[in-house]
Amino acid sequence: MSIIKSKELVHEYIRRDEEGNVESIQVALDHVNLNVEPGQFISILGHNGSGKSTFAKHINALLTPSEGTLWVDGMNTSDDEYTFAVRQTAGMVFQNPDNQIIASVVDEDVAFGPENIGVPTNEIVERVERALKMVGMQKYKNHSPNKLSGGQKQRVAIAGVMAMEPKCIILDEPTAMLDPDGRADVLRAVHELNREKGITVILITHYMEEVVDSDYVFVMEKGKVFAEGTPREIFKDVELLKEHSLDVPQVTLLAHELRKAGLPLPECILTRKELVDSLSKLNLKRIEGNQAGASPADANKAAASNDNQVNNNVLILDHASYKYSPGTAYEVTALDDVSLSIKEGEFIGIIGHTGSGKSTLVQHLNGLIKATEGSIYYRGQDIYDKDYDIKDLRTQVGMVFQYPEHQLFETTVFKDVQFGPKNQGLDEKEQIKRAYEALGLVKLPEEFFLASPFELSGGQKRRAAIAGVIAMKPAVLILDEPTAGLDPKGRDDILGLISDMHQKRGDTVILVSHSMEDVANYVDRIIVMDAGKPAFDGTPKEVFAHYKELEKMGLAAPQVTYVMHDLRDAGFDVDASATTVEEAKEEILCCVK
Amino acid sequence: MLREITLGQYYPAESVLHSLDPRVKLFSTLVFIITLFSADNVILFAIVLVTLFGIIKLSHVPFSFMVKGLRSIIVLLVIAGLFNLLLTPGRTLVSFWIFSISDVGLKNAVLMTSRMVLLIVGTSIMTLTTTPNQLTDGLEKSLGFLKKLNVPVHEIAMMMSIALRFIPILIEETDKIMKAQMARGADFETGGLIKKAKNMVPLLVPLFVSAFRRANDLSYAMEARCYNGGEGRTKMRPLKYGSLDQRAYICIVSYIIIFYAVKVVL
Repeated sequence: MSIIKSKELVHEYIRRDEEGNVESIQVALDHVNLNVEPGQFISILGHNGSGKSTFAKHINALLTPSEGTLWVDGMNTSDDEYTFAVRQTAGMVFQNPDNQIIASVVDEDVAFGPENIGVPTNEIVERVERALKMVGMQKYKNHSPNKLSGGQKQRVAIAGVMAMEPKCIILDEPTAMLDPDGRADVLRAVHELNREKGITVILITHYMEEVVDSDYVFVMEKGKVFAEGTPREIFKDVELLKEHSLDVPQVTLLAHELRKAGLPLPECILTRKELVDSLSKLNLKRIEGNQAGASPADANKAAASNDNQVNNNVLILDHASYKYSPGTAYEVTALDDVSLSIKEGEFIGIIGHTGSGKSTLVQHLNGLIKATEGSIYYRGQDIYDKDYDIKDLRTQVGMVFQYPEHQLFETTVFKDVQFGPKNQGLDEKEQIKRAYEALGLVKLPEEFFLASPFELSGGQKRRAAIAGVIAMKPAVLILDEPTAGLDPKGRDDILGLISDMHQKRGDTVILVSHSMEDVANYVDRIIVMDAGKPAFDGTPKEVFAHYKELEKMGLAAPQVTYVMHDLRDAGFDVDASATTVEEAKEEILCCVK
Repeated sequence: MLREITLGQYYPAESVLHSLDPRVKLFSTLVFIITLFSADNVILFAIVLVTLFGIIKLSHVPFSFMVKGLRSIIVLLVIAGLFNLLLTPGRTLVSFWIFSISDVGLKNAVLMTSRMVLLIVGTSIMTLTTTPNQLTDGLEKSLGFLKKLNVPVHEIAMMMSIALRFIPILIEETDKIMKAQMARGADFETGGLIKKAKNMVPLLVPLFVSAFRRANDLSYAMEARCYNGGEGRTKMRPLKYGSLDQRAYICIVSYIIIFYAVKVVL
């Protein structure tokens, strides 16, 4: 018997005006038929707005169908009698780790579910203990959730569901707000539950790499399931997925490109090992004699050459250090004696795991945080000088924070974008001109200019928020994780936009990110932060040559870099420094005899 | 700057007071407040003071930590003291310029300020040794009788504990939005009262929007975990009186008897 079965499931969001008349109907689910067997690991793919979260809420009886039926373990979710039984059978984990933890202590939060369903006290204690152990969080039993990382909070949320002893667990984009480390931890925990406890898992995601290990994949768009199959079947059709603005894992994409270029590779390759193995069977050039293992890149070269041109430095950090709560027991050194220079027109990526000091570093650049030691110069002037106009600096060095859409506040998008120029003291005419230009640059369609910012979709909101900073015409633009929480299309759009601005207008851009693939594709220079210090500084090629050290810092090089290194280790004569799919393709094709 | 605000701060330690049932602590705090305000002579005051010091010793919370809580109300204390000192009529002890200090005024000022100090210290012992959750549990249980009067005691307690959970998150959020708006040239510091209030709009609107979004998410998360009000709920740590609590009640009752015996005798 299937654990989840939907038949012609339809869900409509109906918007009513104040008199209760129907204003608009939005079909979120459009005759969805799907079937999940117990013990399976299922993924549901789809970009934002495809209806996948709506579907998840149905499985948990948080929403009920407008038409059609959904059965969870044989229970009809429309039947009120079963609501709680359904929720107990199919537990749900949400996207935002903060907003689903109810109690102020970890174990009390895990106990919340069992308490609600009236489990006797002794058993609750046992269940909490077991559930925390399953996700590897028993050490944090007595901690406050506020002190945990995103990945840890998400594992607590999973434990909270597991303590209700469900048969099935639904995860609605559980990793969208996490860094790579946290993502890996959460996925590991979920896979373990599936393997060892036989829990049926339904993972909703738009990260393609997370889908590779699942048993079966459903791809949704516009409320419909438009493709289903094993990951291998799904990723076979790279072009189709691209058309629907979904990605494929980099390895699969590389294999696909190589096949297109005429290499006889098998049809669908999902893992690094498969690709390397199939390439090994081909007749590639082998490394001759003594040059084996030599890595051509040298990361320190770029750092050394920086000193040659002093004049066009926009920003210089001179032995800057920053400590949180200095002099107390909670003292944390967030920046540790950092000296850096940023040149006019550079496109820089700053990477590092959460807590490495990357956000603290960029907030120094526009004076939002004042270094506890050292100095910072903007165009040769010390920004800590008494008569330095820090407000002016903030318009020169624009800063787009993480989730910038959370700062929108005006009644219309246009007014919101005007806010920056208005604070600069520009006259009305200039403000309007600036706002118009900025909204054009972020390619927001004109029909949204006078809409409330709260009515836009996630990707549009983010563009509007970025426009709000660009409108001040900063000479340096800093973006802190501008793609966090966006789907592949949204991510490519935003990054493309930033890259455009850099190329066409020659802006200096600093991109803070923990996605190596993003950074490698766009920037000229990467600064890797670790423990409050720049660990590496150079071109993507130079930095990613240190992939082994990066791993130790909880980071990773792009997947293709690993493929190239694997090939080299297998004795083939390729330059292992490729960081993008394009470069890797060229390099491998050159190597074919 | 906002990080430094603390509410209902809990000081983790292992002491008799930490392991007491929150209801005992709530009751004793109430008793403490009543006796404090009915202490109108030196001996009674001394009894309260000695008891308080004994309790502080028992709590294993550093004294300096408690005094820290006083710092924020020092202005209030000084003002209240001065008003009592200068504006109470009575037999004049000293007089200068337009002010005069009377005997009653002096007595009131001393009494008033020391009462306030003791009140803060005494109640802070409760919050320092009880986690917010225990506190809400204790309140829910002690006020359980109000349910008969249709007061939604469980719901109020749940709201309190959720508020306590989200206060630090919202404070952090405020900090973030403030910085983001400052990066867009917003000014939160200068200007008159009206201008300042107007400047808060770019901070408050996003903050409210975010709070509502979080509330919406949280309500889904609670429903998904079968939350259905207080009916039929069990507890992982139900409040149960132990022998320690019994002894504590005996101490509290004897304290009341001694206090009022002395009060009547004198």
